[in-house]
Amino acid sequence: MHEKPDHSPIKTHFVQHKTPTWHVVVAYSILGMFTFLTIAPLIWMSYTSFKPNKQIIQNIFSLPHSLFLDNYIIAWQRGNLGVAMFNSFFYSFLATFITTFLALSTGYGLTKFPYKKFSAFFYSFFIMGLLISVHSILVPLFVMETTLNIDNTRIGILIPYIGFGLPFSIYLAVSYIRDIPKEVEDAARIDGAGYLVTFTRIIIPMSLPVTTTMIIFSFLANWNDFIFVFILISKEALRSLPVSLNAFAGGRSRDLGLLFAALVIATIPIILFYVIFRKHIVRGFAAGSIKG
Amino acid sequence: MRSELHKKLSYTILTLPAVLIYASMIVFPVLVSLILSFTKWSGFGTPSFIGLQNYITMFKDPVFLHGLRNNALIILGSLFIQIPFGFLLAYLLYRRLVNHRDFFEAMIFLPVSISAIVVAILWNQIFSPAGLFTSLIRMVLHDPRFVFPIFENKTWAISPVLVVIIWMYTGIYMIIFLANLQKISPSIIEAAIIDGARESQILFHIIAPSMIHVIFTTTIFAISGSLKSFDLIFAMTGGGPAHYTEVIAIYMYYHTFKYYKYGFGSAVSIVIVFLSLGLISMLQYIHAKLEKHYHA
Repeated sequence: MHEKPDHSPIKTHFVQHKTPTWHVVVAYSILGMFTFLTIAPLIWMSYTSFKPNKQIIQNIFSLPHSLFLDNYIIAWQRGNLGVAMFNSFFYSFLATFITTFLALSTGYGLTKFPYKKFSAFFYSFFIMGLLISVHSILVPLFVMETTLNIDNTRIGILIPYIGFGLPFSIYLAVSYIRDIPKEVEDAARIDGAGYLVTFTRIIIPMSLPVTTTMIIFSFLANWNDFIFVFILISKEALRSLPVSLNAFAGGRSRDLGLLFAALVIATIPIILFYVIFRKHIVRGFAAGSIKG
Repeated sequence: MRSELHKKLSYTILTLPAVLIYASMIVFPVLVSLILSFTKWSGFGTPSFIGLQNYITMFKDPVFLHGLRNNALIILGSLFIQIPFGFLLAYLLYRRLVNHRDFFEAMIFLPVSISAIVVAILWNQIFSPAGLFTSLIRMVLHDPRFVFPIFENKTWAISPVLVVIIWMYTGIYMIIFLANLQKISPSIIEAAIIDGARESQILFHIIAPSMIHVIFTTTIFAISGSLKSFDLIFAMTGGGPAHYTEVIAIYMYYHTFKYYKYGFGSAVSIVIVFLSLGLISMLQYIHAKLEKHYHA
């Protein structure tokens, strides 16, 4: 760990009193217990995925005797997980890219233009969306998409993803771009740049820190979405991972080895994502809470 | 003049696409839902206007009321289990009582990122009749025939779902408390320590009072989270057995997409919207009153 030990005589962050030992013991036990309860099911899932079904039924706890990789090969093929994973990446990347770009442009528009009344109205209009849950609009959305014949299409998934991603991304964009000093923008304008050039050359690069949080948060939400694809897509070729997984688990096969392998396959990308971007995910949740 | 036009045009180009997508995906559908909720419609033909009949039927339906009760239990679970635990964990990390804080934080927060569908399927294998949990109890009790009766019991069937929700989301509450704890100026705590304050005094006199607004925020999280809860329960139990674990979002789903009662389903959606707006504005009202009271 890079921090100095807590009993260091140098005042780093806190003056510490001599913490009684039992405080430390209690703290370790509580955190240790929570950590154990949190990761034990995931560890169990991981090693069970390497056991053939028969072995799982015989003893649900035991460690695998050998790495039974057939589970992975068969689950990948039978669950059509390759296609599902491609679709999940496709929906998540594209929706995240468009949401983030539109949120930044809207954030610039709402904060740096003199149409204050319009902007205030649109902003509260977007913020209201934070309180609307997906389930409140499923019926009209489904009717709308079937009427326009865009159910069972990729575009029919991307549009609601973007619509529901916008409120939070705009909230983040506005609160960040608002604080970019006017002088920076004015300097670019004096050099003869138009508003749209100022947006792409100045605002986007300067908003990089908040953009990262927006991208990561939006990606996570899209990646984990279930309901939109479940309701709007019936073609197997367009399903995303959570929907394929749900179908796989509800299917006729009672082979637990395959099921666990499918779960692990679906979890690996998000675990990697978590390892790389955890700080940003945390920041996104924290930002959501500080709005009050 | 030309530059004014240019400015207006730029403003429009920058903001209009988002406004349009948002309006067509959220504002317009909510309004359509509201209108449909006063009709009887199966998706074909013209909806026929039936006034408040859908709402009356809904509030007389014991299945709906049981769903509402389950939503309330999820909120209570968050309030009395997740928020206190979230605060406790955040506090332990914040006070630097342990090393490897980053490790603990990373592990406890991990399930938040995992898809609710994965979590549901995994926990089904834990709570299923031949699952991990039952096997564990059988081993401890040396009774190979032991079964858990609670899953088939109307009152208790929701409890495994509550366990999973606590497992999955306590990390969010921890993160929120931690972020807000870190905003407390360390100098205040240093001053208290120099004055000889004990750990308990620091907790109750300095930290707890400044956490009141966070408790309100997290309560809002809990309410909207409960009303949104669908994926996890849908993949875990599908609302069963016999609707015992249904929440209102699942009730809405069945009525709309299984029984094709679009008007009725819309009415349930509108109830979800009003419940969340109503509960949250009520909280904000109480919060404002309290703030006034303390700062008067």
